[in-house]
Amino acid sequence: MNSTTSDMLLSRVEKPARYIGNEWNMERKEVYDFRFALCFPDVYEIGMSHLGSRILYRVLNDMDGVYCERCFAPWTDMEKALNDLHEPLFTLETKSPLRDFDVVGFSLLYEMCYTNVLSMLKLSDIPFLSEQRDETYPLLVAGGPCTVNPEPIAPIFDAILLGDGEELEPELVECVRQAKREGADKQTLLKRLAKIEGVYVPSFYRPVYENGRYVRTERLNDCAPEHPTRRVVRDLDSAKYIKRQLVPHIQIVHDRVAVEVMRGCTRGCRFCQAGYIYRPVRERKMGTLLDQTRELVACTGYDEVSLLSLSTGDYSELHTLLPRIIDDMAAQKVSVSLPSLRIDSLLKDDLEKMQTVRKGGLTFAPEAGTQRMRDVINKNVTEEDLLRAVTDAFTSGWCGVKLYFMIGLPTETDEDILGIAELARKVSQCFYRLPKEQRGMGFRVTVSVSTFVPKPWTAFQWCAQNDQEEIRRKQQLLKNALKGVRGAELHCHPSVLSVLEAAFSRGDRRLCDVLIGAYERGCRFDSWAEHFKPDAWAEAFAANGLTMDEYAYRERDLDEPLPWETVDALVTVGYLKREWNRAREARTTKDCRQGCNGCFGEHCEDYCRV
Amino acid sequence: MKIIAAFEKTKELSYTSHLDVQRTLQRAFRRAELPLAYSNGFNPHPKLSFATALATGYTSDGEWLEIGLAEPLSPEDFLNRVNAVMPYGMRFVSAFTADDSMTTLSKMIVAARYEITLYTDAETDLESVQAALRSIMDSGEVIVEKKTKSGIKPANIRPEILEAEVLSASDTIAKIAVLGTLTAAGGLRAETFARALFDRLNLSGRFTAHRTVLYFEGCRELPCLS
Repeated sequence: MNSTTSDMLLSRVEKPARYIGNEWNMERKEVYDFRFALCFPDVYEIGMSHLGSRILYRVLNDMDGVYCERCFAPWTDMEKALNDLHEPLFTLETKSPLRDFDVVGFSLLYEMCYTNVLSMLKLSDIPFLSEQRDETYPLLVAGGPCTVNPEPIAPIFDAILLGDGEELEPELVECVRQAKREGADKQTLLKRLAKIEGVYVPSFYRPVYENGRYVRTERLNDCAPEHPTRRVVRDLDSAKYIKRQLVPHIQIVHDRVAVEVMRGCTRGCRFCQAGYIYRPVRERKMGTLLDQTRELVACTGYDEVSLLSLSTGDYSELHTLLPRIIDDMAAQKVSVSLPSLRIDSLLKDDLEKMQTVRKGGLTFAPEAGTQRMRDVINKNVTEEDLLRAVTDAFTSGWCGVKLYFMIGLPTETDEDILGIAELARKVSQCFYRLPKEQRGMGFRVTVSVSTFVPKPWTAFQWCAQNDQEEIRRKQQLLKNALKGVRGAELHCHPSVLSVLEAAFSRGDRRLCDVLIGAYERGCRFDSWAEHFKPDAWAEAFAANGLTMDEYAYRERDLDEPLPWETVDALVTVGYLKREWNRAREARTTKDCRQGCNGCFGEHCEDYCRV
Repeated sequence: MKIIAAFEKTKELSYTSHLDVQRTLQRAFRRAELPLAYSNGFNPHPKLSFATALATGYTSDGEWLEIGLAEPLSPEDFLNRVNAVMPYGMRFVSAFTADDSMTTLSKMIVAARYEITLYTDAETDLESVQAALRSIMDSGEVIVEKKTKSGIKPANIRPEILEAEVLSASDTIAKIAVLGTLTAAGGLRAETFARALFDRLNLSGRFTAHRTVLYFEGCRELPCLS
């Protein structure tokens, strides 16, 4: 792209700096024979914050002769500018169209970005469906947590990557590169790819429907495994990491150094898909983390470090690590933050330590309002724990907390909803009970409420979602109950979106046509309230003889075949059933650091080292 | 002690905002491990102070700022260390040291010179552009609509234009150099000037602006008029 074209495009959009690249630590290569376009189907500020993409950018660019470039979903103004000027979508590094790449890979983190995938393909003149593309097109692949149910997007991609990418992506690249050297055709390449552990080639499988429901999957090619298995990096400590993190020019969502302390979580919250699909838990050694933190801070110039994981509070050496990192960083005026805190007795010391540098917000996630409900979802936190934690925080000078809850959980009653308000009231009382000179000013307890979405590979994968009317009723109930709670503020996520999310997260392959129909009806950036078009989606479902309600609101039979079971996410269905039965009886399951719960079944020996 | 320094901002980074530039520089200074002076308080931040902001989309040969230091640092050291870690498209071009007592740059700034390129929708030529510019320079008043806090208001920008000349004009491209006033209170905006020119030319189109020099009064080491 020449500079006049680029000027013409950039002068037409609201945030041109999203598209200019040239960030500090951007990869520049002169010599390469293999091009990988790492695509993120959302805006720059979100995509650049994604840990997995940051890791893959490093992993791929560390390969000899491979140049990995980035491409993000253009905002609607840029989409229009590209169309008006008949220009293709371009990567940030060399401003090349996606058609020029050997592999185009998408990170799929949430279902609501699927229409953006189509928009990016359209702007690149790449046909949507795998069967419409021959070997003259780039190989189209997808990875990320959404791929544990790859079915709704299966017809689009040539290959879908399941699980950790650090080892899988280089294997894929080597395989494609070899095929390219030999001049192999697409079918030959796909057969080879299907043999790589963690690769699902959708065209080798055909789902069968009877009476409007999915019943089984037929395998069409012997070279493909019966159940492609999620890939796991066994040794996280020596795995590749971000190393030279990109430093964006514009502010992004997570604008700080990201250090991944561990992967996976042992808590076993029954609603949490990440908790199931990132198992087993793998920790990095403390020395490794200290080294990586120093290195990343030095090469980025960031003044904030975040210790990332699904549950950093559970890192086994946290109470040794935290003071050491904080001391280490304080000398350079770098602050340290944790994405979530564990509500336990040692919290107070950590809080005081963290406050010496900079005071961030404090967030807790009790998730449910009553002990019964928390036992159902296996969130092993008691009211006592929470109140002690917030009191500690308030005496240490914090004067605001944010509490995360879900509504619409399985077995939920109105009592559980009212319990949320009750908990907020008690938190508020904890603050005002403190003597004036011991507490801060401007108290706030923010109650943030999202709608429960049943996800595949969780104990609740069979459950019906509450319909919108019921969700709105529960939101109103909570709103009324929170009146008179000093300092309380309620944030509810809109419920319309969660229905679509529920439909797609447990969808089957038929939803791909719905997706394309929605795109053609103008759907883009569905997770952005201002762009979400519920009517267009409803039309797209109807045009294909399907309904959103059937996918979102229907309770599945425990013995019903489920479309996502073609892939193997390692956690066994038998274990999920046991968990669902315990949930119904409000019986908790122990943290698996305290002993194996047998979630991997026969995979246990091979994959789990906890 | 403080460092007074100027950096250039080229095409690649012209679309970053003033706030982006502030962040970019703070991070570059940290990478360079400069002995920066920090403000006190809960959110200590390095003491950077710009002579003026550069509008998003403009390029520049020299944007001046002052940087508070906790320990002495030579200008040569500063340039070497910082330029080794600056992002592509931004580079420091000059630097000198000064006492903390020196008046701040924003109080000394008086004017700025720009090179403005008009991309017109229809063809034009040197004579037309010169005539258009002459009509601006010969008027006692050049009224343009100016965005203020209380809405769009007409304003006379003629007093803000100190000098201007046409550098070249042919086909659909015209280059003009203009010197305008610029103080902490305000001054000539390249965009307003470009719009006034489009007006007189009876043409529409887009423009790019490149700031070539910032002028100051009261410090011999900084560029000054005359």
